[in-house]
Amino acid sequence: MTTSASIRLGRPGARAGSASTAVSLRGVSKSIDGRAVLSEVSVELPRGSFVSVMGANGAGKSTLLRVMSTLTGATEGEVRIFGESRGAAVRAKIGMVAHETMLYDELTALENVTLFARLHGVPGAASRARLMLEQLGVGAVAHAAVRSMSRGVAQRVALARALVHGPELLLADEVFAGLDVGSRELVEGVLTEAWGKGCTIVTCGHDVEQSLRLSERVLVLERGRLVMDEWAHRLTAGSLRERLGGRA
Amino acid sequence: MSAVRVVMLLAGKDLRIEARGRQTLGLVVVLGILIEVVLALGLGQASSGLRATAILWVTYLFGGVLCFEKTMAVERQHGAMAGLLLAPVDRGLIYLGKLCANLALLGALAAVVTPVGIVFFGFDLSAAPGAFAAVIGLSLVGYAAVGTLFSAVTSASRLQGGLLAMVVFPLSLPLVITSTQVLAGVMDRGEALDMSGLGVIAVFDVIFLTASWSVFELVVEP
Ligand SMILES: Nc1ncnc2c1ncn2[C@@H]1O[C@H](COP(=O)(O)OP(=O)(O)O)[C@@H](O)[C@H]1O
Ligand SMILES: [Mg+2]
Repeated sequence: MTTSASIRLGRPGARAGSASTAVSLRGVSKSIDGRAVLSEVSVELPRGSFVSVMGANGAGKSTLLRVMSTLTGATEGEVRIFGESRGAAVRAKIGMVAHETMLYDELTALENVTLFARLHGVPGAASRARLMLEQLGVGAVAHAAVRSMSRGVAQRVALARALVHGPELLLADEVFAGLDVGSRELVEGVLTEAWGKGCTIVTCGHDVEQSLRLSERVLVLERGRLVMDEWAHRLTAGSLRERLGGRA
Repeated sequence: MSAVRVVMLLAGKDLRIEARGRQTLGLVVVLGILIEVVLALGLGQASSGLRATAILWVTYLFGGVLCFEKTMAVERQHGAMAGLLLAPVDRGLIYLGKLCANLALLGALAAVVTPVGIVFFGFDLSAAPGAFAAVIGLSLVGYAAVGTLFSAVTSASRLQGGLLAMVVFPLSLPLVITSTQVLAGVMDRGEALDMSGLGVIAVFDVIFLTASWSVFELVVEP
């Protein structure tokens, strides 16, 4: 899989302009209980970007994704997602896989995904939900309760849930954690396919090789600060690892 | 999607989860009957509307708190509330959906403990069954409105369960006092239904429904 076709010239983030911008953060800081979790993060992601956020545990990756999802507000700075700061219209364009699956244990995979398809007003919600589950290789357990599922299976159901409405921005927090090799490739394929359809994708994780292979741009957070914003093709696994302080 | 459909969808989801073996209702009904046994025996056989209404209120109060806690706990299990908050629907509708689910459970509780009280413990509501249903029904809407909101507050703040009762019981005092007085008047003193009492309950409902509907988003904001 190569991303060379979509490699853009110039500096990352140099392409501002609201119409083509999916995510725009300006001087975003976030404090939780008086502790700075994000500090003055500024980043501009054009529509159709595929971005990996990297950094040690506790660097603020998940918080950054939550800020981008509009689930949590910034303490300071400006957040614009497709030109808007918050609201139902923005949420309609966002799909999110968080650390927690956001699934109901007592409901089946299909019921969970269908519920969200309905909330998003997807026509033919149930059949669309079934299709997503099949694409993610969990069609066979569509009628099984989430309670009975392993972490890896539930994770893929969560991704089906996040993609069921065809979001324009997918935020995937450690979506590969707990997946075996087969499902990892499957999920990579699904993400790449969504990206190919124009979806802006922001993932975070710890796998250096995978991030470089999948994404076109890499952001590195260090104690809440954005310390690197670089095109993936300009990086090598070695140089990125070094930047991550050997912790990745 | 229309607001009503969203509310029905969310309430239906909660009731389906409940039906899949959360067993809240079973627990609440058993608790309600136990309360009836203890209080009915403790207070003796004096058959009055006041006695019946008071005992039934105790079952609603305790049963309700359990329902509110359980239905909200579902949203905390795997961060499901965040999923709902990400949906492109007015967040007040999430509150209303939860409220409807709680009302359905409270209604089911009332539908069991009331006949049990009549048959086994000599609750005599025959003087004004319609007034009883109307006053209690209206009061339970207000109680569920308060309980649903504060179940979100206590669940979001990771505080322990007993806290919910400590907040919700005092807030529901106007409902309990007004409804028991109105019903005692109708059933024990043969008065006409006190419309101003009914009005107090309705105003309470409207205030708490609209206030909760509008502050719910702030309460659950992670
Ligand atoms: N809800 C929260 N309450 C308290 N601290 C939090 C919360 N969310 C995040 N943090 C803190 O913020 C820092 C960054 O967390 P996070 O964004 O999860 O980092 P990462 O995803 O990079 O591991 C951590 O030190 C974490 O303890
Ligand atoms: Mg994280």
